[in-house]
Amino acid sequence: MSIALDQVTKRYQSLPVVNDVSIEIEQGEFLVLLGPSGSGKSTLLRAIAGLVEIDHGRVSLHGRDVTGVVARDRGVGFVFQHYALFRHMSVADNVEFALRVRRMKRADRLSRRQELLKLVALEGMDERLPAQLSGGQQQRVAVARALAHRPEVLLLDEPFGALDAKIREELRRTIRRIQQELGVTTILVTHDQDEAFAMADRIGVMHQGRLLEVGSPDELYARPRTRFVATFLGAANLLLGYRRGHRLGFDRPGAENVTPREIVAVIRPEEIELTTGKAAGGLTPVGSGVVQELQFAGATERLRVRMPMEGPVPATPDREGADGSGWLLDATRTFPEQRANPLAIGQKVTVSARRIHSLPTPISSFTVVAREQAAAEQLRGTPLLATLAARMQTRITMRTNRTASAPPGMPVLAAGPGASATAQWNLAHGASQVLVLPAGAVLPARIVVLPGAEAGVGALGVAASLLRHIPAESVLLAVHEAATPERERASRLRLLLDARSRALSEHGLDLRTELRFGDVDAEIERELAADPTSMLVLGLDSLEASETARLATLLEGPKLRPVLIVRAPDGAA
Amino acid sequence: MAGGRIVVPSPLPGFGLTFGFTTFFLSAIILLPLGAMVIRALGIPPSELLAMLLDERAVASYRLSFGAAALAAAINAVFGFIVAWSLVRYDFPGRRLLDTMIDLPFALPTAVSGIALATVFSPTGWLGLKLAQAGIQVAYTWLGVVVALVLIGLPFVVRSVQPALIEVRKDLEDAAESLGAGGFNVFRRIILPTILPALATGFTLAFARGIGEYGSVVFISGNLPLKTEITPLLIVIKLEQYDYAGAAALGFFMLVMSFVMLLAINLVQQWGQRRMGIGVAR
Repeated sequence: MSIALDQVTKRYQSLPVVNDVSIEIEQGEFLVLLGPSGSGKSTLLRAIAGLVEIDHGRVSLHGRDVTGVVARDRGVGFVFQHYALFRHMSVADNVEFALRVRRMKRADRLSRRQELLKLVALEGMDERLPAQLSGGQQQRVAVARALAHRPEVLLLDEPFGALDAKIREELRRTIRRIQQELGVTTILVTHDQDEAFAMADRIGVMHQGRLLEVGSPDELYARPRTRFVATFLGAANLLLGYRRGHRLGFDRPGAENVTPREIVAVIRPEEIELTTGKAAGGLTPVGSGVVQELQFAGATERLRVRMPMEGPVPATPDREGADGSGWLLDATRTFPEQRANPLAIGQKVTVSARRIHSLPTPISSFTVVAREQAAAEQLRGTPLLATLAARMQTRITMRTNRTASAPPGMPVLAAGPGASATAQWNLAHGASQVLVLPAGAVLPARIVVLPGAEAGVGALGVAASLLRHIPAESVLLAVHEAATPERERASRLRLLLDARSRALSEHGLDLRTELRFGDVDAEIERELAADPTSMLVLGLDSLEASETARLATLLEGPKLRPVLIVRAPDGAA
Repeated sequence: MAGGRIVVPSPLPGFGLTFGFTTFFLSAIILLPLGAMVIRALGIPPSELLAMLLDERAVASYRLSFGAAALAAAINAVFGFIVAWSLVRYDFPGRRLLDTMIDLPFALPTAVSGIALATVFSPTGWLGLKLAQAGIQVAYTWLGVVVALVLIGLPFVVRSVQPALIEVRKDLEDAAESLGAGGFNVFRRIILPTILPALATGFTLAFARGIGEYGSVVFISGNLPLKTEITPLLIVIKLEQYDYAGAAALGFFMLVMSFVMLLAINLVQQWGQRRMGIGVAR
């Protein structure tokens, strides 16, 4: 392992800018950290170099723990966005800097310098001053300088940010070639996805201080796990899809006896097929709309199709026009496709999808359930729900009429009298999770997870999904009652550790684990009382009375807190 | 610039008017008096002029003026740098107030600082008394002149170095550190060379000001001929004795020296700009 980060956290004024990042990078690997500005990627890179001290976690380079080691003793090469060349020194002196401070002999320095300048194709530029070089040449000098002391790790912080497109392309190739020639483990930070695709062995996407997903470029593009990655890496249409049996459809669910399973479907614009008349055979029909925009873009044609409001549902609310006249779906077509089937603005088209990826996110949408419209509006405006939905880019729909089954998506109920029964009814009629909110609930600073046995995996998945969007402290709680027989204790402990390691490997979620002995209700209360804004994620193994007994206290009072109930999938036992 | 053309046309109107005013103003206020003085001095027969300039009292005054100014500028280069460093690099309560105080010697009438210094450093003043007990006399010696010039010259160094220090980006230090340089190496090899042109400019400015300074020096120096008499004071004395020719001769000499200093400042600044590549496309 060349670079290993373990739960690295960096706070500025108690706000985490790098939040609990763990990753391992192989010898010789080229990793690109990709994220929007302010996502913490540069800070993370500086933390690896030792230029920023971290508040929590460990940094190891080649098996050596360097967390407390200052930058100059870490032996990494660092390349800055604005080159950071020493302007009063010649190219030669810049490149030799690391060798000079290591008191290397003159002759050795000279031969190393020539070797390096050859590597970056700047032979003969030795005596120039940085000011006499172009931007691209300056950055080459910076790369040569960073490699002089033969670092085993090369870190590049937006190295092409200040260069124009053509030089950028050329320097990209140069750096990739050098990296492969030397086999040096490299991390490059950028906000440019093209750059990431062009250079990376693996891409790590960062957002709000968290490393959301890590994977090869094609893997992340084809099978993202989160909404953010799906939309940040390339363009994507996010739709709510409904699985009824084995069939996936995009029709809005009506009054159905069995709640369809709601998923978030990712359809890339290039996977959209537009036909006039009938849907193309063998593809999944999405709906029909009207061509609103048509843009020629060289090899491809970009289209926007206006989909009617009563058609398929966008998974993110931002695609909808304010006038309620529908929402826009992106599509691209290749030149041959354009030729075979020319389209014009205003034309009615049938939309189908060649390939659909469904996000493994456990929260597809929220449905506020209440008896009256006013109560539903109030529940929808609860700070916790409103903020969470905005951050997750998730829809909130409202339902006030009685139906035969639970709504698709996650039902949201108001805490108080009757909440326990309503929650159980929803769980029994198709919902796999229920969110119960007291009036005015705010975003939690502490999330306590009581996973249960069978429901554990689901509960932790939901908790992970929440924690990606809420910078809260998270606690995994396991309670062994005094009555638990000795033998069962061991198996329960194994279930807990299983759940925890799955949460870590599948969701990148690292929780503080608390193992307690005593009364379950008392221990829950104690953990929740630690912060006034605590929220509970509760895994329910079944809807038997033994499991649901504590719901009445948790959901109906006297002390009300936000509770998210996750039910074990049927037949899990 | 277009070859052969003296005036580069500007889209803004009013060049003729403003240029005319500029030349008139500069002539009336600078060139005319100085020219008159030069003509007066050059009207003196050369041998007499030389004798006046090499007069024992005059030479002693040069030595004091230039020596003290150089020493004061050197002291300011060191301490002014430290002051600028602490103002730029650290944030502490009262930083803004301290920053404003640097300019006080600029703003105060020089006579006020002179009197203040004389009061503090005179053998009965509260600092002078302590120093006298230690056997050091400041007031009425060359040391007093140096002290006055340090006070006057400090803002020049601080104000020159400050922007240069801000310019030394954190990136440069981070780069040096990641390449294996320790704190001292970073300072010696990166920070100091980067701000050196600015420091040199500050030194030269303080030096030039020190040569010409009058008001703050005369109260503390004691003005003993051959010992603590500075050149500007000598000019005043000659004027008071109606020795206009002698005053003009010394004035001429000072004018030449000022011109040399100005040239030096410009050369230093140009050197610095070339070295740091300012004005050259990055």
